[in-house]
Amino acid sequence: MIVRVKNLVKRYGDLVALDHLSLTVNEGEIFGLLGPNGSGKTTAINCILSLLKYDKGEVEIFGRPMAPDAYDIKRDIGIVMQNVAVYNELTVYGNIDYFCGLYIKDKNERKRLVEEAIDFVGLRDFTKFYPKKLSGGLLRRLNIACGIAHKPKLIILDEPTVAVDPQSRNRILEGIMELNRQGATVIYTSHYMEEVERICTRIMILDKGRAIATGTKDELKAMITMNEKITVESFGITDEHISEIRKLPNIISVEYKDNLLVIKSGKGKNSFETVLDFIRKNEIRFGKIYSELPTLNDVFLEITGKELRD
Amino acid sequence: MFVHIFAYRLKCLMRDWETILWTMVFPLVLGTFFYMAFSNLYTNEIFNPINIAVINDEQYAKNKSFREALEEVSTGDERLFNLSETTIDEANELLNENLIDGYIVVEMPIKLVVNNSGINQSIVKSFIDNYIHASSAVETILSIEPEQIQKIIDDIGNRETYVSEKKSTGGEPNTILLYFYTLIAMTCFYGGFFGMREINDIQADISSVAARVNAAPVHKIKAFLFSAAASVLIQLVEVLVLISYLVFMLKLDFGSKTGFVLLTAFIGTITGFSFGAFISAVVKKSEGIKVAVIVGVTMICCFFAGMMQHEIKYIISRKAPVLSYVNPLNLLTDSFYSLYYYDTFSRYFKNIILLTVFIAVFCSGTYLMIRRRKYASI
Repeated sequence: MIVRVKNLVKRYGDLVALDHLSLTVNEGEIFGLLGPNGSGKTTAINCILSLLKYDKGEVEIFGRPMAPDAYDIKRDIGIVMQNVAVYNELTVYGNIDYFCGLYIKDKNERKRLVEEAIDFVGLRDFTKFYPKKLSGGLLRRLNIACGIAHKPKLIILDEPTVAVDPQSRNRILEGIMELNRQGATVIYTSHYMEEVERICTRIMILDKGRAIATGTKDELKAMITMNEKITVESFGITDEHISEIRKLPNIISVEYKDNLLVIKSGKGKNSFETVLDFIRKNEIRFGKIYSELPTLNDVFLEITGKELRD
Repeated sequence: MFVHIFAYRLKCLMRDWETILWTMVFPLVLGTFFYMAFSNLYTNEIFNPINIAVINDEQYAKNKSFREALEEVSTGDERLFNLSETTIDEANELLNENLIDGYIVVEMPIKLVVNNSGINQSIVKSFIDNYIHASSAVETILSIEPEQIQKIIDDIGNRETYVSEKKSTGGEPNTILLYFYTLIAMTCFYGGFFGMREINDIQADISSVAARVNAAPVHKIKAFLFSAAASVLIQLVEVLVLISYLVFMLKLDFGSKTGFVLLTAFIGTITGFSFGAFISAVVKKSEGIKVAVIVGVTMICCFFAGMMQHEIKYIISRKAPVLSYVNPLNLLTDSFYSLYYYDTFSRYFKNIILLTVFIAVFCSGTYLMIRRRKYASI
C-alpha cells in the first residue's frame, strides 16, 4: 500500500471540507479523485502532503506516518500543483533543474533526469524559453516536468489539465499513463470525468468532502440502477407518448426537453429495440437516435441528485 | 543544497527587472535629480565678479591711491570686479547694453553711475564708501600726526580677528548631504521588496511555488535562509552601487571612515530586507497591499528623516526625540552623517545598536510567522 488515509477531517470554521475521508492507494495504481469544484479534492491532497493542518485522522505514505519533516518520504513524492508553480525568471530548463535539485544532489544524475523530463513532456524545443513565452498547454507540461523530473515513486497530480487545449491534454494524459507504466503510482484529481474514466484504474468520487463511492469505473457504474441511456432527437412528442414510454418494460425514467427525448433503462435486457419499435409504431418523426452506456456523471447524478459539472 | 538554492535565487532576482528598477535604478535617478537640484543651490552661492567700468580720464590718472585700490580688487581668482577702463561714451554704451552694472567717475567726490539698484550696485557703492572713509581717515590723521602714517597704513591693511574657528568635527556641516543619506536609507528599505518576495516564495499559503518547495525534502527555514542570502547580496550590491555613484560620480563626501560606511550599508540592507520580510509575513493581504505598506512606511520614515525637508529631522529631534529613535531610516541617515561629521563614534554606535534591535524584532517576528510547517488553509 502506497498511501493510506484514515478518517481525515478538515474544517474551515463551520465548513467541513473533509468529512472522515478514508482511502487507500495501492502500488501501481492510477487512483482518481473525482468531484466537482469545492468537493475537497485539493484539500485532501494538501492534507496528504502534510501542507495543511487537519482536525482529525491519519495519513501514511509508504507505510510511514506523513509529516512536514518526513524528508525520506517526500523524496519519493512528485507533486504537480493545480496552479502552475514555476519561476517566471528561470527558463524551462532552469525551472526543471531547480526543482529537481531540491530532490537530487548529484549534479550528473540531476542533469540526466532533467534531460529525460524535458523529452518526456516534449519541451526539447523550448528549453531556453521563459514561462511567459509558453502557451497554456506548454506551461502545464513544464509544471508537470518540474514535479516528475526526479523520478518519484508516487506522483500526485492536482487537476493538471485545467485550461489546456485538447491536444496538450491528450499528451498530458498519455504521459501520465506512461509514467504509471514505468512504475509510478499516481493520484490524479480532476472534475473532468472523461479524463478520470480514461486513465484511472480506481476512482473515488468526492462530494462535499465525503467519499460517496470508490471502485473501478465498471464497479462504480454497476452501483447504479441505470444500464442504458437512449437519446432521441424528435419532434411532436406528446405527454401521452411519454406516459406510454414509461410503461415499457425496464424503463426507469423518461424526460423530454428541447426536442430531446432521454430514456433511461435499468439493468437487464437492453431497451433500444423496444424504444425504436415504439417510435415506428407511433410514427414519431425523429432525427438521430443513439444509445449510451452510463458514465461517471450518471453515477454521480444518481448518488447525489446533481450533475458532476454543477 | 545551499549553492543550488543560492545560485538559482541569484539568477531569479537578477532577472526580476521590475524589482531591480525600483531598488537600484530609481535611487540612482533620484540621486541624480537631487544632485542637479542641490548643485544649482551651490551655484547660486558662488560669487561672480561684478562688471564695472571706470572713466579713464585725467582725474583717474591723478588719483593714484584709488586706482591702486581698484586694481587690487580687480585682479586674481577671487577678484571683486571685472574692471574696464573706458571713455564716458563707451561706459554709457556698456551700461545701456547691461554689459556693466555701473561705472565710476573719479571726481570730487567719486561718483557711481548705475541704471538700476541691486546687490551688485550696492557692493560697488560700498567699496567706494569704504575707500572714501579710509582715505579721509588717513588724510585727517596725516594732518595731525604725520609720523603715525606707517602705523595707520598697517592698521588698515591688517584687521585683527579676535575670534578663531576651531573644528571639533571631521567634516563641515552640510545639510545637503543629509538628503543623499536619506536616499541611501530609502534604498536600503526598498530591499524590503526582496524580503517580501522571499516570504511569498516560501509560504505555501501565499504562492504555488512555495507550496511546491514545502512539498520537497528541504528544511523550510534553511531553504528560506539560503534564498534570503542571495537577496541580501543583491540588495547590498545595489546599495554599494548607489554609494559608489554618489562618491565617485557626484563627488559627495562620506568622510574618511570607509569601513564603517560599508558596515552601515550592510546593516541598512539587513534592516530593509528583514523589514520587508516581516511586513510580508504579518500582513495577510494581497501582494499589492504589502507593497503599499512597504513603500508607505518607508516614505513616511524618509519624510521624518528629512528627505523632503532636512529641518524636519531637527524638529523631530528637538520636539519628539523618541520618534527619531524609532525611525530606522532616520537612524541609518544619522549613522552616515555621524561618520561624515563626527570624529567620535558614540553617536554612530548608538544608531547601529538601535538598528540591530530593529533587525532582531523584524527577524523574530518573521520567524514566528513562518516557522510553522503546516498551514491552516492554502
